[in-house]
Amino acid sequence: MAQEPKDVLVRMHEELERALQKAPEERRWVMVIDLRKCVGCHACTIACVAENKLPPGVVYRPVVEQERGTYPNVTRSFLPRPCMQCDNPPCTPVCPVTATYKNEEGVVVVDYDQCIGCRACLVACPYGARTSDFGYTYTEELPVLDGAIVGREKADDYEVAANYEYGREWARTSHASPIGNARKCHFCLHRVKEGELPACVSTCIGRATLYGDANDPDSVVSEMIKLPNVLRLKEELGTEPRVYYLV
Amino acid sequence: MAKKQETKTVSPAKKLFDFKSMTKAEKTAIAIGAVAFLLGAWGLYTRLFVGEREVGYGSYIVWGLWVSMYLFLAGVATGSYMLAVLEYLFSVPMFKGTGKAALWAGLVTMPAALASIGMDLGHMERIIKVYLQPNFFSLLAQMVWGYTIFLLIVVVTLWLAFKHKEGEAVSGLFKFVLWVGFFMAIFLSGGVGALLGVNASRPYWSVGLLSVQFPIFAFASGVSLMLIVVGWFMHLKDEEQRFHLFRWLGWVAIALSLAKIYILWAYLSQAWYSQVPDVMVPLNEILFGRYWWSFWIIQIAIGTVIPLVLHMIPKLAHDGFWAGAIGVMVLVGFAAARANIVFPAMSVEMLDGLPNAFFGPHLNILYFPSNLEWSVTLGVVGAAVLAFVLGAQFLSVFNKPNTEVK
Repeated sequence: MAQEPKDVLVRMHEELERALQKAPEERRWVMVIDLRKCVGCHACTIACVAENKLPPGVVYRPVVEQERGTYPNVTRSFLPRPCMQCDNPPCTPVCPVTATYKNEEGVVVVDYDQCIGCRACLVACPYGARTSDFGYTYTEELPVLDGAIVGREKADDYEVAANYEYGREWARTSHASPIGNARKCHFCLHRVKEGELPACVSTCIGRATLYGDANDPDSVVSEMIKLPNVLRLKEELGTEPRVYYLV
Repeated sequence: MAKKQETKTVSPAKKLFDFKSMTKAEKTAIAIGAVAFLLGAWGLYTRLFVGEREVGYGSYIVWGLWVSMYLFLAGVATGSYMLAVLEYLFSVPMFKGTGKAALWAGLVTMPAALASIGMDLGHMERIIKVYLQPNFFSLLAQMVWGYTIFLLIVVVTLWLAFKHKEGEAVSGLFKFVLWVGFFMAIFLSGGVGALLGVNASRPYWSVGLLSVQFPIFAFASGVSLMLIVVGWFMHLKDEEQRFHLFRWLGWVAIALSLAKIYILWAYLSQAWYSQVPDVMVPLNEILFGRYWWSFWIIQIAIGTVIPLVLHMIPKLAHDGFWAGAIGVMVLVGFAAARANIVFPAMSVEMLDGLPNAFFGPHLNILYFPSNLEWSVTLGVVGAAVLAFVLGAQFLSVFNKPNTEVK
């Protein structure tokens, strides 16, 4: 009797555990986004915002909607856009203090304590994948209601609580980093380290976003990036993105 | 506008604020500088103690007015140094008598440029990291180190200029410092263009012509500033020399403006001919879109055409006031030119539809400087004007070079 195929999420979890047994420099994290399956629900965007406690004006994974053609020949497509984690990233050499660099696993990271906030990396990124944190909170416009259940004082507890990007606590207090810094998608390295898939992958309702180690020939992402219908954004720039799209 | 030469010994503070001995032009400049600085005080306070939230730029239009002003003021500083080099190193007669004022202008405008770019940093208190942990592959790091070295060179050059006696040969040390400073001025003025040009992701900037035009812009800015100084502030015993000076400076400013127009034409016409969308978007924004007034009215009309016409009218061209006015107009035109290079290039959507994919503050491609940005810019420029005029009074750089001032 044929074995029932595993849910791809379960498979990716198993592959993740396998990859974590290897030395970091032997892993090659890639993301594959199947545009044929993306329904434009924005669940990945919201999951990312929640996971990383992103403030207003900061987004790591927007879903770009594009309409083409004229009625009645119209198509609508959705393009989730995380950081491309380029192998030849234009954003890192421009940093005057090496605050952004490719880590040993090949993921482009930002050292928030090192970043001076010059935004040269935002200018250099050809994908618009970095945003600047200007220090907003979603709840700051709420009235302060003494004695009421909901008011700014209570509602902002969640927002000012620390997030755990890069495996460290980053509380939103005063002008402390990451306020004033360039911010970007980091493939949820803090989750991956604990054997969890990136938030956008876990949350995708159509299993359209896949993640794994491309150095593992048996991984789902290795299978996908060999397909003929795979492409990467702005390949002509030579940035060698690690995010692949299936079309 | 000539002023009595100070001959008796006075205390430094009295010399600095000796309003009685100042000319009407100096008093007017101090009043304008003070008003601008006061208007800028709100912006400077807000930026330093509240933060960057009230700015108009953001994550898509990444650099705004402050970066443009940095490019402009750094250009004035390096251009002023080039002018001093022409007097002291190459002994160009037409620039005789402008050296000290040019060096002092460089010493004032470079910190103003750095203040402007400093305001743009999300964590300006960490600028020390560029010295302690620099990435020299980054042009920004090269620039920060370059500006620091340049400022030291300007200080040394100014000191040597004061030691130098008119008519005597320039000493070997002075020549060496001038050569190093000249190289730094060229490197830094071209470097700010390269700072933009190295971004292959911005096709509008990523052309070789961009960094080439910046040293020309810089020298033209330095000449224009000197036109203001000579026309409005310089006290030369020999009125004939002063007259020749601002006539020549005027012609040089106009010639450089025309060179700028030629470069602009080469730049824009090639871009237009290519019809590459990422180049056409900024081009349309500049010529016919959101920034048309900045290009056609400020950069072309006020910055180039009107000064050219004024300079062709002998009665006006022979007048110190109008010489200074021409300098102001050309400078304003160059400031607008920098802005027209910086903002529009970023109005291109990096991916079609990206600005509409997620909404939030500072996530749009429609940019106009906010009140905070204008205020800070006024404050920085006002402080520079005050420092320049008061410092020039203190150092007596507006005097004829061979005038002894105790």
